[in-house]
Amino acid sequence: MAQVSSALIAHTTDLELVIRHVLAGLGQGVHAGRERGSGVEFSEYRAYAPGDEWRRVDWKLLARADRYYVREAERDSHVAVWLLLDASASMAEPSRSIAGLDKLSYARTLLACIGAIAQRQGDAFGLAVLSGGRVQFVPAARGPRQLQRVLAKLAQVQAEGDLPDADLLRSSLRFTGSPSLIFAATDFLDWPSPLSQALVRLRHMRHDVRAVCLQTEAECEGSFDSGPAYRDPERDGGVFRFGADLREGYLRNREQHFDTVSAALRASDVQLAQARIEQAPGDILRQWLRQGGRR
Amino acid sequence: MNSLWWLALPTLLLPVWWHRKKRVQTNAEPLASARFLSRTEPRQMRVWRWADVVLLIVRCLLLACAIAWLADPVFPWRGDTVVVAEGSDAQWVEREIKAAGYDTAAREALPAHAALAWIGEHEREFKPEARLLVLGDIPMPASLPQFRRPVVLRTLAKPLPRTETRVTIVSERAQEWRRMFAALDGPLRVVLETAPGPQTELIVWDRPGAPPPSMRAPLWWSTDAGAFTELAQSKAVGGIRYADGARGRVWASNAWPPSDPAAARALLETWRELHYAAVPYTAPSMTFTETNVPAPAYASGALRDFLLWALVALFAIERILTHARRR
Repeated sequence: MAQVSSALIAHTTDLELVIRHVLAGLGQGVHAGRERGSGVEFSEYRAYAPGDEWRRVDWKLLARADRYYVREAERDSHVAVWLLLDASASMAEPSRSIAGLDKLSYARTLLACIGAIAQRQGDAFGLAVLSGGRVQFVPAARGPRQLQRVLAKLAQVQAEGDLPDADLLRSSLRFTGSPSLIFAATDFLDWPSPLSQALVRLRHMRHDVRAVCLQTEAECEGSFDSGPAYRDPERDGGVFRFGADLREGYLRNREQHFDTVSAALRASDVQLAQARIEQAPGDILRQWLRQGGRR
Repeated sequence: MNSLWWLALPTLLLPVWWHRKKRVQTNAEPLASARFLSRTEPRQMRVWRWADVVLLIVRCLLLACAIAWLADPVFPWRGDTVVVAEGSDAQWVEREIKAAGYDTAAREALPAHAALAWIGEHEREFKPEARLLVLGDIPMPASLPQFRRPVVLRTLAKPLPRTETRVTIVSERAQEWRRMFAALDGPLRVVLETAPGPQTELIVWDRPGAPPPSMRAPLWWSTDAGAFTELAQSKAVGGIRYADGARGRVWASNAWPPSDPAAARALLETWRELHYAAVPYTAPSMTFTETNVPAPAYASGALRDFLLWALVALFAIERILTHARRR
């Protein structure tokens, strides 16, 4: 199947559709399924819910009770996956080449795919959306219902306001002692920020933290339109102008900033994947997941 | 040349441009990485809407008025016109107007000598279809006037006004002199006096010896050149010696009083021509056909007074509005 381009994200708001396409393009073997088989020990029956795999339906019980029941395994995985979405105002930055595509929708797609993968692997997964100075949680759980909850939450996220402050974030992101896999999608434009501090702290708490830094092509190349005036969506006051004369300075400042970011993350042993939102989400996803595999 | 000032009309665009509203560029697009750019001053944009429309209109009018004042526009507004020389016989004028079908035409009373020149100067003010009739005792111009439209001239020679001149004859041959003056025809009439008065214009001194110093007149005719000392170095024209003295101008000739009618006529004509204004010759009635020759000088400033007042008024209004706007 052809690689799904990021234009698909711009064209549809149906996350499930995008996930299906992206994961189909991803091929076999990414979600290595180390945990598969560990949950074969029967625990209980549960009523069928849409999204459950047909092979988990107990057909004998269907014949007896005329109802669909799903065999629930004891515990599929010990790993909880946390999806961290930065939905501050700067995440609304659009791609200047693909209409309708912005960083938030791209991040949403990536996290939804991770969630779907986690669900297929039987991992518990939860979502934390950092937006408008607040943290919105979908507590970690398993199963297709959880995926629906997470997708619904992701679908309604709007990019607005600032990140929550450091204290709120510290008290919110208090995970249980179990080891977690934390996927954070952000643009890392603020450094240091409450989110960066939280990521470093989580890493110190022995969680596996993987961040993806979302950028646009125009940002990387300094190819903004010089016509309109610009303002910073997260900071007040001031109008900015872009032009060929300012490009050098812009690229220098930007490179300096992201050098600092990568150096700091490397020092804290936080995995960082770089992504341009114009790239195919499958590629980014593969790169993001593989990073952890190499560890 | 004045009409070249109309080329300055595009200056009206200046206030139109200046009155465009300025607006700070507020429709800035969000740019997440704007923090890597240096801050710039917000740009001022002019939008196609105008501030202080009344003031803008007044300023445009002020400029237009100033340009019009400089360009000195002429509008063809005169229709059929009858130019009547002042002092013409009213009945004859009415008759002529009726006969020529100018009943509804405007009438312009002008001095007779200026009538044709006036038409030449003002001919741009006449509408293309306007007809022109000139009535009265119009003197014959030295050269044929040329107009860019046909002009009908109807003249009626007025009886010449009679002028009286007082002449004192001091002579042994007074009878001969009287006879000569009596033969004078034309509008000039001679009143003979026995003694010179303050209104005496000519003294005929046909007597040997100098006249008493108290006698004064503008002109003396003397048959004795020795009687007037100023004639000693005088010049002579046509047998007449002449000089200016304390008593007045002196003409002297030994051949006086003239013995034949030709000499008498010559003397009287000379006197009349040199001392009395020429009687104008009334032009014959005629129609001037149109030519393409423009008048050497057109009348200007027809609207200047009006435009000047408008300019002053508009300037005052503009100042008031500007002041009111600042407060």
